[in-house]
Amino acid sequence: MTETLIETNDLSVHFPLKGNLFGPTPVVRAVEGVTVHIERGSFYGLVGESGSGKTTFGRALLRAAPITRGAANYSDADVSYDLTTLEGEDMTEYRKRAQLIFQDPYAALSPRMTVRDIIAEPLEVMGLTKSRDETDERVRAIAARCRINLEHLRRFPHAFSGGQRQRISIARALVSEPNFIVADESVAALDVSIQADVLNLLKSIQMDMGLTFLFISHDLSVVAHVCDHVAVMYLGRLVETAPTRELFAAPRHPYTKALLSAIPSLDPDDSGDVVKLEGEIPSPINPPPGCKFQTRCRYAIDICRVEEPKLDNLGFDHDVACHRWKELADDPQASVVEHD
Amino acid sequence: MTKPLISVKDLTIRFNTDEGLVTAVEKVTFDIASGEILGLVGESGSGKSVTAKALMLLNADNAVYDPESSIKLNIDDQEIDVLSLGPKDRKIIRGGAISMIFQEPMASFAPAISIGDQMVEQLLIHSDMTRARATEVSIEMLARVGIPDPAQRFKQYAFEFSGGMRQRAMIAMALSTKPKLLIADEPTTALDVTIQAQVIDLMKDLVSEFHMGILFITHDLGVIAQTVDRMAVMYLGTLIEKGEVRNVLRKPGHPYTQGLMNALPKLDDLDVPLTAIKGDIPSPLDRPAGCVFNTRCPVSLGEDCESRVPVYTNMEDGHEVACHLAENAGTPA
Repeated sequence: MTETLIETNDLSVHFPLKGNLFGPTPVVRAVEGVTVHIERGSFYGLVGESGSGKTTFGRALLRAAPITRGAANYSDADVSYDLTTLEGEDMTEYRKRAQLIFQDPYAALSPRMTVRDIIAEPLEVMGLTKSRDETDERVRAIAARCRINLEHLRRFPHAFSGGQRQRISIARALVSEPNFIVADESVAALDVSIQADVLNLLKSIQMDMGLTFLFISHDLSVVAHVCDHVAVMYLGRLVETAPTRELFAAPRHPYTKALLSAIPSLDPDDSGDVVKLEGEIPSPINPPPGCKFQTRCRYAIDICRVEEPKLDNLGFDHDVACHRWKELADDPQASVVEHD
Repeated sequence: MTKPLISVKDLTIRFNTDEGLVTAVEKVTFDIASGEILGLVGESGSGKSVTAKALMLLNADNAVYDPESSIKLNIDDQEIDVLSLGPKDRKIIRGGAISMIFQEPMASFAPAISIGDQMVEQLLIHSDMTRARATEVSIEMLARVGIPDPAQRFKQYAFEFSGGMRQRAMIAMALSTKPKLLIADEPTTALDVTIQAQVIDLMKDLVSEFHMGILFITHDLGVIAQTVDRMAVMYLGTLIEKGEVRNVLRKPGHPYTQGLMNALPKLDDLDVPLTAIKGDIPSPLDRPAGCVFNTRCPVSLGEDCESRVPVYTNMEDGHEVACHLAENAGTPA
């Protein structure tokens, strides 16, 4: 039986903009009504284009972005927190349990600190160790786990390549022994040959230490390889979520289909049944009415333009928010027939 | 036989730095014909951009071109020796016969000058158009690359464009002078996949319409597969494999190319484990002797690989590989 570690219900994050003196203050609806269950020990993928709200959602779960509305709960074996009201000591405790790995290993590490100090900082700030010896011991243990050469601990980050730096960031995130990690585009800045190495490391750490990952990425093929559950976001909304294999075998939302088919194939003769998307993601300040994807969707009909679809469960833990998923699924031709 | 649009031969570029002379590119040779897209793949630091910049003499002043290097541009029955161009004659390769588009379109436009004024300015420099005619041509180009409402967009600034629109405007600007060769340095890397697909389509259409040559630089093998005719794989400043894109991707002959393919997550088989290439790219300051890949190569033969630079060998399908293993098995190119 699996247990839910993180659960959100109708979670929204809004950022008010500076308005003019008259009229209403414009609001960026970065995340709107997102409901997810992240099971303990899972590798949960979150995908979408830039501006879809995936980073903001990840930050909201860490309380690094304000939660405007809705519920978010963290429940572990010994403790549970309501993330919307977390403060004081509970907040400090939650920070030990939930950590973030950033995208750019060049910007995330202070150039003036040695690798040892970078990794040790969370322990010192949170007061998790009693002596310098104990700190050193924990730093060495986690560094070895992340395959950092122990002799490198005395050096500064500038001496390292992108892959090595990302391993240092990972060690820093793991040193406080968290059990929930948000990895935000953690391999996007790395070269392919290094990316595979870091992905394998993340995956093995997750398995060995029983961690729960929220893995945010725009790269569907990376997500397909490491995640066991995937959620697709578009303009702040969750449009589809399913176990990885199910999602890649039978995507239901037109946006998911388009994303999948836009990945360039390695076979030059296979340009695929490419579902070309016209235009770009609309602004979250002024989202279109109805289904947020209707401005780019070639299956959009009248109802899509007025009513926002709700997440519909179609079995196998697979949810999709589309008015027409059923008829499109029943008609196998629908995915290849173009209408102009 | 007609001459290729551009031939680069034995291009070797070193940089004079505080730590000594650093070799960035070594003995790089390739041709591009009109109407052809050549893909140049490699990881960061492999020398792709330095090679591209050499074609327009855009490398910094501390770049030293080896005397054996040659870059010949053939336009209208005239051969131009790029490396010997004086400062006054460089207009022809900078925005004239050669144009370049960059990875980050936001950094490529001046923020305080409207997109239209920037497009008109370069037309006034590179052609004898009047300002009115240049405005007309620029708006036509914006329309051609699929920017809606081009006359209105013409007056706007770069920050008012989205990422995809900016890259389209960049392409429109690069093409409005009708270059013979377009250098595209990671043009889709900063874009989302759905927008990337749009830009790739646009570039393919433009090649058939304008019949120019394109040097397409990217680290993404999927983009290469869908875009280019021929490809070359670069590692630490050296082309280690080159040929028709189909042949190289179907039967990669070099252990590095094979390693890249194995490291790539593939969607059609989720059970295949990702295999990383061991180690990191060595610093150009200590370039390995012999084959540049020998420090990370899974099938290194030892001494031979560590001491002698491999020569190009023809694979069965005709594409060329610089590897000792292939050398022992095949015929020299």
